[in-house]
Amino acid sequence: MNANSRWNVPAAGRNIRPVKFALIVFSCFIFGSAVLLTVPVQRVDRLFTQGLVALSHKIITICGGHATRQGAILRSPGGFAVEMRDGCNAVNVTILLCSAVFAFPAPWKMKALGILGGATLIQVVNLFRFITLFYLGQYSMPWFEFAHAYLWESLIVLDTVVVFWYWAMHVLRSGTVVNTPDFNASP
Amino acid sequence: MPHLKAPTRFLLRGSALLIGLLTLWWLVLLDPMLSALQCGGDIAARLVFGGKSGEFMREDASRNWTFRVPKRIVVPASRVMAPPQQVDSIDFDVARTDVIGFTFSLPVFWAVILAAPGWRRNLRPLLAGTGLIALIELILLLIFAATSAHKAAAAILSAPMGAFETWLLNFSDYLTVLVVPYLAPIVVAFAVHHELRRNVFGWTTRDKQPAKSSSISNSSIGAGHSRKTRSVRVHRRAL
Repeated sequence: MNANSRWNVPAAGRNIRPVKFALIVFSCFIFGSAVLLTVPVQRVDRLFTQGLVALSHKIITICGGHATRQGAILRSPGGFAVEMRDGCNAVNVTILLCSAVFAFPAPWKMKALGILGGATLIQVVNLFRFITLFYLGQYSMPWFEFAHAYLWESLIVLDTVVVFWYWAMHVLRSGTVVNTPDFNASP
Repeated sequence: MPHLKAPTRFLLRGSALLIGLLTLWWLVLLDPMLSALQCGGDIAARLVFGGKSGEFMREDASRNWTFRVPKRIVVPASRVMAPPQQVDSIDFDVARTDVIGFTFSLPVFWAVILAAPGWRRNLRPLLAGTGLIALIELILLLIFAATSAHKAAAAILSAPMGAFETWLLNFSDYLTVLVVPYLAPIVVAFAVHHELRRNVFGWTTRDKQPAKSSSISNSSIGAGHSRKTRSVRVHRRAL
Protein backbone atom coordinates (compact mmCIF):
# COMPACT_ATOMS: atom_id res chain seq x y z
CA MET A 1 0.00 0.00 0.00
CA ASN A 2 1.55 3.31 -0.99
CA ALA A 3 1.18 6.57 0.88
CA ASN A 4 -1.48 7.98 -1.39
CA SER A 5 -3.85 5.07 -1.11
CA ARG A 6 -3.37 4.88 2.64
CA TRP A 7 -4.34 8.53 3.10
CA ASN A 8 -6.93 8.46 0.34
CA VAL A 9 -6.48 12.02 -0.90
CA PRO A 10 -9.39 13.47 -2.85
CA ALA A 11 -8.31 14.92 -6.18
CA ALA A 12 -10.32 18.11 -5.69
CA GLY A 13 -7.61 19.60 -3.54
CA ARG A 14 -5.13 19.70 -6.40
CA ASN A 15 -6.29 23.17 -7.28
CA ILE A 16 -5.60 24.76 -3.92
CA ARG A 17 -2.48 26.90 -3.80
CA PRO A 18 -0.55 26.47 -0.58
CA VAL A 19 1.16 29.86 -0.57
CA LYS A 20 -2.04 31.86 -0.95
CA PHE A 21 -3.80 29.69 1.58
CA ALA A 22 -0.97 30.19 4.09
CA LEU A 23 -0.92 33.96 3.51
CA ILE A 24 -4.68 34.27 4.01
CA VAL A 25 -4.58 32.13 7.18
CA PHE A 26 -1.65 34.15 8.51
CA SER A 27 -3.29 37.53 7.77
CA CYS A 28 -6.66 36.48 9.21
CA PHE A 29 -5.04 35.05 12.32
CA ILE A 30 -2.91 38.13 12.98
CA PHE A 31 -5.93 40.38 12.39
CA GLY A 32 -8.15 38.27 14.66
CA SER A 33 -5.52 38.16 17.42
CA ALA A 34 -4.95 41.91 17.17
CA VAL A 35 -8.69 42.58 17.44
CA LEU A 36 -8.89 40.19 20.40
CA LEU A 37 -6.45 42.39 22.33
CA THR A 38 -8.48 45.59 21.88
CA VAL A 39 -10.32 46.93 24.93
CA PRO A 40 -13.96 46.42 23.81
CA VAL A 41 -13.31 42.86 22.62
CA GLN A 42 -11.43 42.08 25.83
CA ARG A 43 -14.57 43.04 27.78
CA VAL A 44 -16.65 40.56 25.79
CA ASP A 45 -13.84 38.00 26.10
CA ARG A 46 -13.91 38.27 29.90
CA LEU A 47 -17.69 37.72 29.96
CA PHE A 48 -17.28 34.69 27.71
CA THR A 49 -14.56 33.32 30.01
CA GLN A 50 -16.81 33.74 33.04
CA GLY A 51 -19.54 31.88 31.17
CA LEU A 52 -17.16 28.98 30.50
CA VAL A 53 -16.19 28.81 34.17
CA ALA A 54 -19.88 28.86 35.16
CA LEU A 55 -20.52 25.97 32.78
CA SER A 56 -17.53 24.03 34.16
CA HIS A 57 -18.85 24.63 37.68
CA LYS A 58 -22.25 23.31 36.66
CA ILE A 59 -20.74 20.17 35.08
CA ILE A 60 -18.65 19.48 38.19
CA THR A 61 -21.70 19.93 40.43
CA ILE A 62 -23.90 17.71 38.25
CA CYS A 63 -21.23 14.98 38.31
CA GLY A 64 -21.17 15.10 42.10
CA GLY A 65 -18.03 17.20 42.57
CA HIS A 66 -17.62 20.13 44.92
CA ALA A 67 -16.50 23.58 43.89
CA THR A 68 -17.44 27.20 44.33
CA ARG A 69 -17.27 29.84 41.63
CA GLN A 70 -16.43 33.50 41.83
CA GLY A 71 -16.33 35.22 38.44
CA ALA A 72 -13.70 33.39 36.40
CA ILE A 73 -12.28 31.62 39.48
CA LEU A 74 -13.15 28.08 40.44
CA ARG A 75 -12.32 27.11 44.03
CA SER A 76 -12.12 23.66 45.60
CA PRO A 77 -13.20 22.96 49.21
CA GLY A 78 -9.51 22.26 49.98
CA GLY A 79 -8.55 25.83 49.12
CA PHE A 80 -7.06 25.32 45.64
CA ALA A 81 -8.33 27.88 43.15
CA VAL A 82 -7.88 28.17 39.42
CA GLU A 83 -8.66 31.22 37.31
CA MET A 84 -9.46 31.02 33.63
CA ARG A 85 -7.63 33.88 31.94
CA ASP A 86 -7.36 35.14 28.42
CA GLY A 87 -5.55 32.39 26.55
CA CYS A 88 -7.16 29.64 28.65
CA ASN A 89 -10.53 30.05 26.98
CA ALA A 90 -9.44 28.57 23.62
CA VAL A 91 -10.48 31.73 21.78
CA ASN A 92 -7.07 31.93 20.13
CA VAL A 93 -7.27 28.43 18.66
CA THR A 94 -10.83 29.20 17.58
CA ILE A 95 -9.46 32.23 15.70
CA LEU A 96 -6.91 29.91 14.10
CA LEU A 97 -9.62 27.47 13.03
CA CYS A 98 -11.78 30.31 11.67
CA SER A 99 -8.79 31.67 9.70
CA ALA A 100 -8.06 28.26 8.16
CA VAL A 101 -11.72 27.60 7.33
CA PHE A 102 -12.11 31.11 5.90
CA ALA A 103 -9.03 30.66 3.70
CA PHE A 104 -10.14 27.29 2.35
CA PRO A 105 -12.02 27.45 -0.95
CA ALA A 106 -15.37 26.12 0.23
CA PRO A 107 -18.93 27.43 -0.14
CA TRP A 108 -19.94 29.94 2.55
CA LYS A 109 -22.53 27.57 4.01
CA MET A 110 -19.82 24.93 4.53
CA LYS A 111 -17.52 27.54 6.03
CA ALA A 112 -20.23 28.64 8.47
CA LEU A 113 -20.88 25.02 9.45
CA GLY A 114 -17.15 24.40 9.85
CA ILE A 115 -16.67 27.43 12.07
CA LEU A 116 -19.74 26.73 14.23
CA GLY A 117 -19.17 22.99 14.56
CA GLY A 118 -15.41 23.31 14.98
CA ALA A 119 -15.63 26.08 17.57
CA THR A 120 -18.17 24.04 19.55
CA LEU A 121 -15.94 20.95 19.49
CA ILE A 122 -12.90 22.97 20.56
CA GLN A 123 -14.85 24.51 23.44
CA VAL A 124 -16.03 21.07 24.58
CA VAL A 125 -12.40 19.89 24.66
CA ASN A 126 -11.43 23.09 26.47
CA LEU A 127 -14.09 22.55 29.15
CA PHE A 128 -12.72 19.04 29.69
CA ARG A 129 -9.21 20.54 29.89
CA PHE A 130 -10.27 23.13 32.48
CA ILE A 131 -12.00 20.59 34.68
CA THR A 132 -9.06 18.14 34.54
CA LEU A 133 -6.68 20.98 35.43
CA PHE A 134 -8.91 21.92 38.36
CA TYR A 135 -8.54 18.41 39.78
CA LEU A 136 -4.88 18.01 38.82
CA GLY A 137 -4.01 21.25 40.64
CA GLN A 138 -5.45 19.82 43.85
CA TYR A 139 -3.14 16.85 43.48
CA SER A 140 0.19 18.37 42.36
CA MET A 141 1.18 21.94 41.50
CA PRO A 142 4.28 21.08 39.39
CA TRP A 143 2.24 18.67 37.27
CA PHE A 144 -0.55 21.25 37.07
CA GLU A 145 1.95 23.75 35.68
CA PHE A 146 3.24 21.21 33.17
CA ALA A 147 -0.23 20.16 32.03
CA HIS A 148 -1.59 23.71 32.01
CA ALA A 149 1.15 25.55 30.19
CA TYR A 150 2.48 22.87 27.87
CA LEU A 151 0.63 19.58 27.53
CA TRP A 152 -2.99 20.68 27.24
CA GLU A 153 -2.12 23.69 25.09
CA SER A 154 -0.33 21.45 22.60
CA LEU A 155 -3.16 18.92 22.65
CA ILE A 156 -5.72 21.64 21.92
CA VAL A 157 -3.69 22.86 18.94
CA LEU A 158 -3.49 19.27 17.68
CA ASP A 159 -7.26 18.89 18.17
CA THR A 160 -7.82 22.07 16.17
CA VAL A 161 -5.72 20.71 13.30
CA VAL A 162 -7.70 17.47 13.33
CA VAL A 163 -11.05 19.31 13.44
CA PHE A 164 -9.95 21.30 10.40
CA TRP A 165 -8.72 18.11 8.72
CA TYR A 166 -12.13 16.44 9.13
CA TRP A 167 -13.90 19.52 7.83
CA ALA A 168 -11.54 19.89 4.82
CA MET A 169 -11.93 16.18 4.06
CA HIS A 170 -15.71 16.61 4.10
CA VAL A 171 -15.50 19.63 1.78
CA LEU A 172 -13.13 17.89 -0.64
CA ARG A 173 -15.15 14.71 -0.76
CA SER A 174 -18.41 16.58 -1.28
CA GLY A 175 -16.84 18.05 -4.42
CA THR A 176 -17.88 21.57 -3.50
CA VAL A 177 -14.44 23.18 -3.54
CA VAL A 178 -14.99 26.66 -4.90
CA ASN A 179 -12.88 27.37 -7.94
CA THR A 180 -11.85 30.92 -7.21
CA PRO A 181 -9.06 32.52 -9.27
CA ASP A 182 -7.05 32.97 -6.08
CA PHE A 183 -6.82 29.30 -5.44
CA ASN A 184 -6.63 27.96 -8.96
CA ALA A 185 -4.23 30.22 -10.79
CA SER A 186 -1.07 28.51 -11.96
CA PRO A 187 1.97 29.19 -9.83
CA MET B 1 -9.35 -3.28 15.96
CA PRO B 2 -11.78 -1.07 13.99
CA HIS B 3 -10.46 0.74 10.92
CA LEU B 4 -9.89 4.36 11.93
CA LYS B 5 -9.88 7.33 9.61
CA ALA B 6 -6.57 9.07 8.94
CA PRO B 7 -7.35 12.17 11.07
CA THR B 8 -8.39 9.99 14.02
CA ARG B 9 -5.22 7.89 13.73
CA PHE B 10 -3.18 11.08 13.56
CA LEU B 11 -4.97 12.49 16.61
CA LEU B 12 -4.50 9.35 18.70
CA ARG B 13 -0.87 8.87 17.71
CA GLY B 14 -0.13 12.57 18.09
CA SER B 15 -1.78 12.78 21.53
CA ALA B 16 0.10 9.72 22.81
CA LEU B 17 3.40 11.04 21.43
CA LEU B 18 2.74 14.51 22.87
CA ILE B 19 2.14 13.05 26.32
CA GLY B 20 5.24 10.84 26.08
CA LEU B 21 7.64 13.33 24.54
CA LEU B 22 6.53 16.31 26.65
CA THR B 23 6.91 14.22 29.82
CA LEU B 24 10.39 13.17 28.67
CA TRP B 25 11.19 16.82 27.97
CA TRP B 26 9.86 17.96 31.35
CA LEU B 27 11.73 15.31 33.33
CA VAL B 28 14.95 14.78 31.35
CA LEU B 29 15.56 17.08 28.40
CA LEU B 30 14.67 20.45 29.91
CA ASP B 31 17.99 21.32 31.54
CA PRO B 32 20.18 20.29 28.58
CA MET B 33 17.90 22.22 26.25
CA LEU B 34 18.06 25.31 28.46
CA SER B 35 21.87 25.07 28.37
CA ALA B 36 21.75 24.80 24.58
CA LEU B 37 19.39 27.79 24.46
CA GLN B 38 21.79 29.74 26.63
CA CYS B 39 24.73 28.98 24.29
CA GLY B 40 22.74 29.70 21.15
CA GLY B 41 21.16 32.81 22.67
CA ASP B 42 24.55 34.15 23.70
CA ILE B 43 25.97 33.81 20.19
CA ALA B 44 22.86 35.23 18.53
CA ALA B 45 22.63 38.13 21.00
CA ARG B 46 26.26 39.06 20.34
CA LEU B 47 25.50 39.17 16.63
CA VAL B 48 22.29 41.16 17.02
CA PHE B 49 22.77 43.37 20.09
CA GLY B 50 26.55 43.34 20.50
CA GLY B 51 27.93 43.07 24.03
CA LYS B 52 30.30 40.65 25.70
CA SER B 53 30.34 36.88 25.54
CA GLY B 54 28.42 34.98 28.21
CA GLU B 55 26.47 37.99 29.44
CA PHE B 56 23.19 37.69 27.59
CA MET B 57 21.42 35.19 29.86
CA ARG B 58 22.42 33.59 33.14
CA GLU B 59 20.61 31.29 35.54
CA ASP B 60 20.56 32.52 39.13
CA ALA B 61 20.45 30.56 42.39
CA SER B 62 16.65 30.54 42.43
CA ARG B 63 16.72 28.94 38.92
CA ASN B 64 15.23 32.06 37.34
CA TRP B 65 17.08 33.79 34.54
CA THR B 66 18.75 37.19 34.28
CA PHE B 67 19.02 38.78 30.86
CA ARG B 68 21.40 41.60 29.95
CA VAL B 69 20.68 43.55 26.80
CA PRO B 70 23.14 46.24 25.68
CA LYS B 71 21.12 49.44 25.29
CA ARG B 72 22.57 52.93 25.55
CA ILE B 73 20.25 55.54 27.04
CA VAL B 74 20.87 58.78 28.95
CA VAL B 75 18.86 59.24 32.13
CA PRO B 76 18.32 62.97 32.71
CA ALA B 77 19.23 64.60 36.02
CA SER B 78 16.60 64.47 38.72
CA ARG B 79 16.23 65.22 42.44
CA VAL B 80 17.25 61.70 43.28
CA MET B 81 20.12 61.52 40.81
CA ALA B 82 21.94 64.84 40.39
CA PRO B 83 24.10 64.35 37.27
CA PRO B 84 22.67 62.80 34.12
CA GLN B 85 23.71 59.19 33.78
CA GLN B 86 24.42 57.01 30.83
CA VAL B 87 23.01 53.51 30.90
CA ASP B 88 24.99 50.98 28.87
CA SER B 89 22.92 47.88 29.38
CA ILE B 90 19.67 46.79 30.95
CA ASP B 91 19.30 43.71 33.13
CA PHE B 92 15.96 42.10 33.82
CA ASP B 93 14.93 38.90 35.56
CA VAL B 94 12.60 36.44 33.90
CA ALA B 95 10.83 33.59 35.69
CA ARG B 96 12.09 30.11 34.79
CA THR B 97 8.62 29.13 33.56
CA ASP B 98 8.77 31.85 30.92
CA VAL B 99 12.25 30.86 29.66
CA ILE B 100 11.17 27.20 29.48
CA GLY B 101 8.60 28.28 26.89
CA PHE B 102 11.43 28.87 24.42
CA THR B 103 12.44 25.20 24.46
CA PHE B 104 9.19 23.28 24.39
CA SER B 105 8.35 23.66 20.70
CA LEU B 106 10.87 20.96 19.78
CA PRO B 107 9.20 17.99 21.54
CA VAL B 108 5.84 19.15 20.21
CA PHE B 109 7.25 19.25 16.69
CA TRP B 110 8.76 15.77 17.07
CA ALA B 111 5.41 14.43 18.26
CA VAL B 112 3.54 15.93 15.30
CA ILE B 113 6.05 14.63 12.73
CA LEU B 114 6.25 11.17 14.28
CA ALA B 115 2.43 10.99 14.34
CA ALA B 116 2.46 10.97 10.54
CA PRO B 117 2.84 7.41 9.16
CA GLY B 118 6.13 6.12 7.73
CA TRP B 119 9.18 6.30 9.98
CA ARG B 120 11.66 6.39 7.11
CA ARG B 121 9.81 9.12 5.24
CA ASN B 122 9.62 11.18 8.43
CA LEU B 123 13.34 11.23 9.13
CA ARG B 124 14.26 13.99 6.70
CA PRO B 125 11.43 16.36 7.69
CA LEU B 126 12.26 15.59 11.32
CA LEU B 127 15.85 16.78 10.92
CA ALA B 128 15.02 19.79 8.75
CA GLY B 129 12.18 20.85 11.06
CA THR B 130 14.29 20.44 14.19
CA GLY B 131 16.79 22.95 12.79
CA LEU B 132 14.01 25.32 11.75
CA ILE B 133 12.26 25.15 15.13
CA ALA B 134 15.56 25.77 16.96
CA LEU B 135 16.08 28.84 14.80
CA ILE B 136 12.54 30.11 15.46
CA GLU B 137 13.02 29.65 19.21
CA LEU B 138 16.22 31.68 19.10
CA ILE B 139 14.53 34.46 17.12
CA LEU B 140 11.62 34.51 19.61
CA LEU B 141 14.06 34.74 22.50
CA LEU B 142 15.81 37.73 20.91
CA ILE B 143 12.50 39.49 20.16
CA PHE B 144 11.39 38.86 23.74
CA ALA B 145 14.66 40.28 25.11
CA ALA B 146 14.50 43.32 22.82
CA THR B 147 10.90 44.22 23.70
CA SER B 148 11.53 43.65 27.42
CA ALA B 149 14.60 45.91 27.30
CA HIS B 150 12.61 48.55 25.40
CA LYS B 151 9.87 48.52 28.05
CA ALA B 152 12.46 48.69 30.83
CA ALA B 153 14.20 51.62 29.15
CA ALA B 154 10.89 53.48 28.87
CA ALA B 155 10.24 52.84 32.57
CA ILE B 156 13.71 54.10 33.55
CA LEU B 157 13.31 57.25 31.48
CA SER B 158 9.76 57.69 32.80
CA ALA B 159 8.80 58.29 29.20
CA PRO B 160 5.10 57.54 28.73
CA MET B 161 4.48 55.26 25.77
CA GLY B 162 1.73 56.07 23.33
CA ALA B 163 -1.39 53.93 23.18
CA PHE B 164 -0.32 52.38 19.87
CA GLU B 165 3.22 51.65 21.08
CA THR B 166 1.84 50.03 24.25
CA TRP B 167 -0.58 47.92 22.24
CA LEU B 168 2.15 46.95 19.77
CA LEU B 169 4.52 45.84 22.54
CA ASN B 170 1.74 43.87 24.27
CA PHE B 171 0.82 42.27 20.96
CA SER B 172 4.44 41.39 20.30
CA ASP B 173 4.71 39.82 23.77
CA TYR B 174 1.47 37.94 23.21
CA LEU B 175 2.74 36.48 19.94
CA THR B 176 6.27 35.77 21.19
CA VAL B 177 5.38 34.11 24.48
CA LEU B 178 1.86 32.80 24.16
CA VAL B 179 1.26 32.16 20.50
CA VAL B 180 4.21 31.33 18.25
CA PRO B 181 5.83 28.70 20.54
CA TYR B 182 2.57 26.72 20.45
CA LEU B 183 1.76 27.08 16.78
CA ALA B 184 5.24 26.98 15.23
CA PRO B 185 5.59 23.17 15.59
CA ILE B 186 2.39 22.60 13.61
CA VAL B 187 3.21 25.19 10.96
CA VAL B 188 6.77 23.90 10.53
CA ALA B 189 5.49 20.31 10.41
CA PHE B 190 3.22 21.24 7.50
CA ALA B 191 6.03 23.17 5.85
CA VAL B 192 8.58 20.34 5.92
CA HIS B 193 6.32 17.27 5.65
CA HIS B 194 4.64 17.43 2.25
CA GLU B 195 2.73 14.18 2.73
CA LEU B 196 1.10 15.48 5.89
CA ARG B 197 0.31 18.77 4.17
CA ARG B 198 -1.11 16.98 1.16
CA ASN B 199 -3.37 14.83 3.25
CA VAL B 200 -4.73 17.52 5.51
CA PHE B 201 -5.37 20.06 2.75
CA GLY B 202 -5.76 17.73 -0.19
CA TRP B 203 -2.84 19.38 -1.99
CA THR B 204 -1.41 16.89 -4.40
CA THR B 205 0.24 18.31 -7.48
CA ARG B 206 2.01 21.43 -6.27
CA ASP B 207 3.54 19.94 -3.18
CA LYS B 208 6.84 19.62 -4.93
CA GLN B 209 7.34 23.32 -4.27
CA PRO B 210 10.02 24.21 -1.74
CA ALA B 211 8.97 23.63 1.86
CA LYS B 212 9.16 27.31 2.70
CA SER B 213 6.26 28.03 0.37
CA SER B 214 3.64 27.08 2.88
CA SER B 215 5.29 28.17 6.06
CA ILE B 216 3.60 30.77 8.19
CA SER B 217 6.37 31.19 10.61
CA ASN B 218 4.72 33.89 12.62
CA SER B 219 1.24 32.56 12.97
CA SER B 220 0.35 31.04 16.20
CA ILE B 221 -1.69 29.96 19.13
CA GLY B 222 -2.00 30.94 22.71
CA ALA B 223 -1.39 29.39 26.05
CA GLY B 224 -2.86 30.17 29.36
CA HIS B 225 -0.03 31.38 31.51
CA SER B 226 0.83 34.96 32.14
CA ARG B 227 4.22 36.58 32.23
CA LYS B 228 5.78 37.02 35.65
CA THR B 229 6.85 40.46 36.75
CA ARG B 230 10.41 41.19 35.82
CA SER B 231 12.77 43.13 37.99
CA VAL B 232 15.00 45.52 36.14
CA ARG B 233 18.50 46.70 36.92
CA VAL B 234 20.68 49.07 34.96
CA HIS B 235 24.38 49.63 34.67
CA ARG B 236 25.02 53.32 34.90
CA ARG B 237 27.97 55.56 34.72
CA ALA B 238 28.05 59.33 35.24
CA LEU B 239 28.51 61.40 32.13
